[in-house]
Amino acid sequence: MLFKSVYNEFIKIAAKPRSYLGIGAITLLVGVILFALKSDGLSILSFVTSSFEQTLSFEGNLLNGNLIAFIILQMLLVQIPLLVALVTGDLISGEFAMGTIRMVMTKPISRTTLLLSKFIAGAVYTACIIIWLGIMALVFGRIFFGTGDLIVLNTDGLVILQEHDVLWRYLSGFAVAFLALLTVASLSICLSCFSENSIGPIVATMSIIILFTIIGTLEVSVFDSIRPYLFTTHMASWRNFFEEPLPKTEIIKSVIILVAHILLFLGISIYTFNKKDISA
Amino acid sequence: MPESIISIQHLSKSFGSFLAVKDVSFQVFKGDVFGFLGPNGAGKSTSMRCMLSLIKADSGDIRLFDLPIHNHREDILRRTGSIVEKPDFYKYLTAYRNLDIFARISGTYSSKKEIYAMLDFVGLNGRENDKVGSFSHGMKQRLGIAQTLLHNPDLIVLDEPTTGLDPQGIIDIRNLILRLKEEHQKTILLSSHDLSEIEMIANRMVIINKGKSIVEGSVKELMSTENLFIRLEVEPQQKALEVLKNAFPEIQIQIKGENQLEFHLSRNQVPRISQLLNSHEIAVYSLESKRSLEDYFIKIVQQDAI
Repeated sequence: MLFKSVYNEFIKIAAKPRSYLGIGAITLLVGVILFALKSDGLSILSFVTSSFEQTLSFEGNLLNGNLIAFIILQMLLVQIPLLVALVTGDLISGEFAMGTIRMVMTKPISRTTLLLSKFIAGAVYTACIIIWLGIMALVFGRIFFGTGDLIVLNTDGLVILQEHDVLWRYLSGFAVAFLALLTVASLSICLSCFSENSIGPIVATMSIIILFTIIGTLEVSVFDSIRPYLFTTHMASWRNFFEEPLPKTEIIKSVIILVAHILLFLGISIYTFNKKDISA
Repeated sequence: MPESIISIQHLSKSFGSFLAVKDVSFQVFKGDVFGFLGPNGAGKSTSMRCMLSLIKADSGDIRLFDLPIHNHREDILRRTGSIVEKPDFYKYLTAYRNLDIFARISGTYSSKKEIYAMLDFVGLNGRENDKVGSFSHGMKQRLGIAQTLLHNPDLIVLDEPTTGLDPQGIIDIRNLILRLKEEHQKTILLSSHDLSEIEMIANRMVIINKGKSIVEGSVKELMSTENLFIRLEVEPQQKALEVLKNAFPEIQIQIKGENQLEFHLSRNQVPRISQLLNSHEIAVYSLESKRSLEDYFIKIVQQDAI
């Protein structure tokens, strides 16, 4: 029954116009960034490297597809949660808003199975978004800008990663970014279980992300104890794969916290949805 | 004793401080077309939702196919097709795709051919690939009925299936229900505001008001003890009036227009009218007995209110 229900959810997601908003928005945004960097990328790059030019000399194609992909990910991974929440926040509440939940729940499918199928479908949609972002950033970046070593500026200074050492870092980074977005998807599905309209969970998800991000960035000691456990603190942990040496402990900690949040949100969703009266 | 398909005993359900269902009890037997009557807000939909496990009852015993709903939900729903309140579908999907989705979670496999045949059965042939968003209310009702039948259930639960339909739509849905009963031997629980319709379709019924069941039984038996509203066209009018007053001194007869008389009379005395008037050489041009269930229903509800 789970497989059949997941298939149903795919059909519904694929038929909704809003599902293509994410793909469309990524295509448009990456297109704009690629165009901007193609037009004026070298001056931006020289602004970054100028402070190191007294101690280092740069040779080769610095403004390459690998750097472009890094810039794109850095810029867009902040906005992608909204695109994910647009679809996943509607998965349960949308059924209540349309009244179809009554029809579905008079069929011999358990509430837990229905919720899990929506979660799986939401996870696959999230993966599609990440994969499309990867294709747009990495593949199109390489097509238009070629390849080369990756220069990353982080808080400790400049990290130079050799061309052959980059692809696995991107794949791993995308995997962790997927976990971060899946956490957002789980949160919006969870909030969706409390609501009977589509907008509420989407707005609430974004509000929580903004609130947690503010708490995470505010240098106030009262938040010190909770900051490491907020999922938003770990949403940019994909960047850890572009550190040298690789901060394995940090990465593992982030993965554990993100997975714990996913399980927590999923657990709350299952409990709430099973207890909920379907009076829509 | 016929096989019990639905047995509801002392059902109650409240939403916060509002007691929606206080004490509803009734029983539906195999092959029944069972009318579930009550004014707006009487608790019909809430009872149906409890029965189908959409909401959890506070107390009471709900059994379908002799199984308690709280721990045999899926077994029961596999044998039940239902529409609660109104049929809502995925508007952005076609009629075929909607049925395909519901068939997939109904516990049986329905091929494309079977789904098309079901759409044909409910009179939606040719509209299979139209999006449901473009459907009228009547078409959605038909699609709703198709959805209930896909997995060939033994029990069909329909919540006010004719509400909002035009006269032709009402006739079509009524005929569809009668076909389900006669050709497919389904047990049907039907709530409706159109009381005359219940009288036409149902063999048994329960009336509920303010969250409790007031009366339950066979429609025929409940109706047989009731007064019918009679309208006669006779000539000569005055002589007919005297004859009827002598024969039935307890009734009040009203003179309406030329040659017309109106009064209420017990159902079992109606056949005497023609005999009586004919024996006094009074010409009877027409004898019209009007719907009684509505009167009965209103009377029952008013009695309960006192």
